[in-house]
Amino acid sequence: MTRAGPAATLRGVTKSFPVADGGTLQVLDVERLELPAAGCTVIKGRSGSGKTTLLNLIAGVSVPTGGTIVVHGTEITALPEARRDRFRAEQIGYVFQTFNLLAAFSALENVMLAMMFARGVPRRLHRARARAILDRLGLGARLGHKPGQLSRGEQQRVAIARALANDPPLVLADEPCASLDAATAREVLAVLLAVCREGGKTLLVVSHDEAVLGAGDRLLDMAQVNGRPEAGA
Amino acid sequence: MTPVTVVWRYLQGRFVTSVLTVVSVGLGVSLVIASVLLTRGIKEGFIAGATDYNLIVGAKGSPTQLVLNVVFRMDAPTPNIPFSAYEEIRHDPRVEAAVPVAMGDAYQGFRYVATTEAYFAPFSWRRHVPAVSTGRLFRSEPSGKPDYEAVLGVDVARRTGLKAADRFFEGEEMAAYPLTVVGVLRRTGTADDRAIFISLASYWEMNEISRQATVKPLTAVLVRPRRLSDLTALHRGWNVAPDLQAALPTAVLLNVFNLLGLVEDVLVVVLAVVAIVVGLYLFVTMYSATLERRREIATMRALGARRVTVLGIVLLESCAIASLGGLAGILGGHGLAYVGASLLAARGGPVTHALALGALQPLTLGAAIALGTLAGLLPAVLAYRTEVAENLAAL
Repeated sequence: MTRAGPAATLRGVTKSFPVADGGTLQVLDVERLELPAAGCTVIKGRSGSGKTTLLNLIAGVSVPTGGTIVVHGTEITALPEARRDRFRAEQIGYVFQTFNLLAAFSALENVMLAMMFARGVPRRLHRARARAILDRLGLGARLGHKPGQLSRGEQQRVAIARALANDPPLVLADEPCASLDAATAREVLAVLLAVCREGGKTLLVVSHDEAVLGAGDRLLDMAQVNGRPEAGA
Repeated sequence: MTPVTVVWRYLQGRFVTSVLTVVSVGLGVSLVIASVLLTRGIKEGFIAGATDYNLIVGAKGSPTQLVLNVVFRMDAPTPNIPFSAYEEIRHDPRVEAAVPVAMGDAYQGFRYVATTEAYFAPFSWRRHVPAVSTGRLFRSEPSGKPDYEAVLGVDVARRTGLKAADRFFEGEEMAAYPLTVVGVLRRTGTADDRAIFISLASYWEMNEISRQATVKPLTAVLVRPRRLSDLTALHRGWNVAPDLQAALPTAVLLNVFNLLGLVEDVLVVVLAVVAIVVGLYLFVTMYSATLERRREIATMRALGARRVTVLGIVLLESCAIASLGGLAGILGGHGLAYVGASLLAARGGPVTHALALGALQPLTLGAAIALGTLAGLLPAVLAYRTEVAENLAAL
């Protein structure tokens, strides 16, 4: 699914956190960032450069101190929280560095959970759709397994399946290979890129992993994106 | 996948903790149910076992002891009164019916009650008329020859296995006076079910002291006046006699109920403390679960769950534990009340099995769910306020 216009646009976005002495610490200052629709953009940066904060802002899980963020034509910074949650559920897939699978749920249920929070897929189709995505990612024989029964590579593939459950046009991946060994990281990255390209999705990966940096269509340096690169995140 | 499935998976995920919490709620609820049912059963037992006679005349002493012993077969018998007192009462023109009663020893724990056939007379004003289901009543009159015949209450027949024509006695000294079963009474739901009825002539002959005494002893006389307006005068008249007292069974029953009321008040306090302890346990369980799940809650929020959704999931889990505990407690409470009532009844206590479904069960379940909601409220608010970005990374 390819859409006209950029997948995400950030204008004058800043993010500050309160600190112990009562002041604030600015960790992000993005004058302008445009993420083209479709394709894979990789943002590299060292630890603490604000990569995760940037993803959280685009996903709408945190709110910028200033500036506007537009995702697929919707200014998410202007949305009330409940609508922003719904927007995120339906329009954005999120892959975490530490997988963040729910331990008490099977692989199938972890994927179905994402569909429960969105309204995009009818409830009667949840199971079949989750099964199809996991099949596509080579986990057809692992549907009933809990995260603790899966290898780390399999867990990350379940997390990718979960991110794709609602067929979002934008997928964000925060250091998706950082918790994996080199071989598994390559395998997971290949899967992530393949399914996003097949679906015409926009993939934004932030990483400091050399193996990931060359995988995208476009490489950005966080030091150039963030006007305050020395700030810790 | 629905919020209910999520809650079910969470309960399964913390199986041991969930089961222990359900059990603790269940124990609290069963204590409430059993206490209420047993108290109600004891009250109903006293009401069901109450006599239809308005006055009980016995020796001077405690009226409560007199009524509890003569009507409910509890407590020790009061001292004896002479049989002549019965003759005087019977010939009083204000008295419609007078029944002499002497409380004897016991056979296998079931007390002998010596009386006349008048005890079984089917007066129109009687709610429970003891009638035989098999056999017949004993025949001898107080002045006649002892027949050593016994009529058994239904529980006596069931527990001892005695039946018509069986002969029995307890202790070597009674071997010379074996009693013969001539009848078994229908169930009355009163203390009569646990009594062995014999004639006064038999009783006096079986008892060494009364056998030799010229003044034959009685424990009490049950009295029904012709007019209720005579009750006060009769009561006062016999109470001023030097060696007699007249007790009003209804007044004694009111005293017993007042005492039960005090017990109920104490129970309410104890049960309130139990509810607080159970509520706190549930709160601690839910609070620690929510703290443990902050990352999962943040993940759900990052996947698009709204704050009210995660609040609802925590509340639903707390309510589910309370509901399961409530249902288990209601079942367990009924079992506990049944066992308690059976033990009390076996020891001669006036108690019924008050197990009928009513407002108690849904009210208790509702209270348990309300307690669950209350206990889950703060953890739910904690989940509601979980900051997503701060909690997404491994804690």
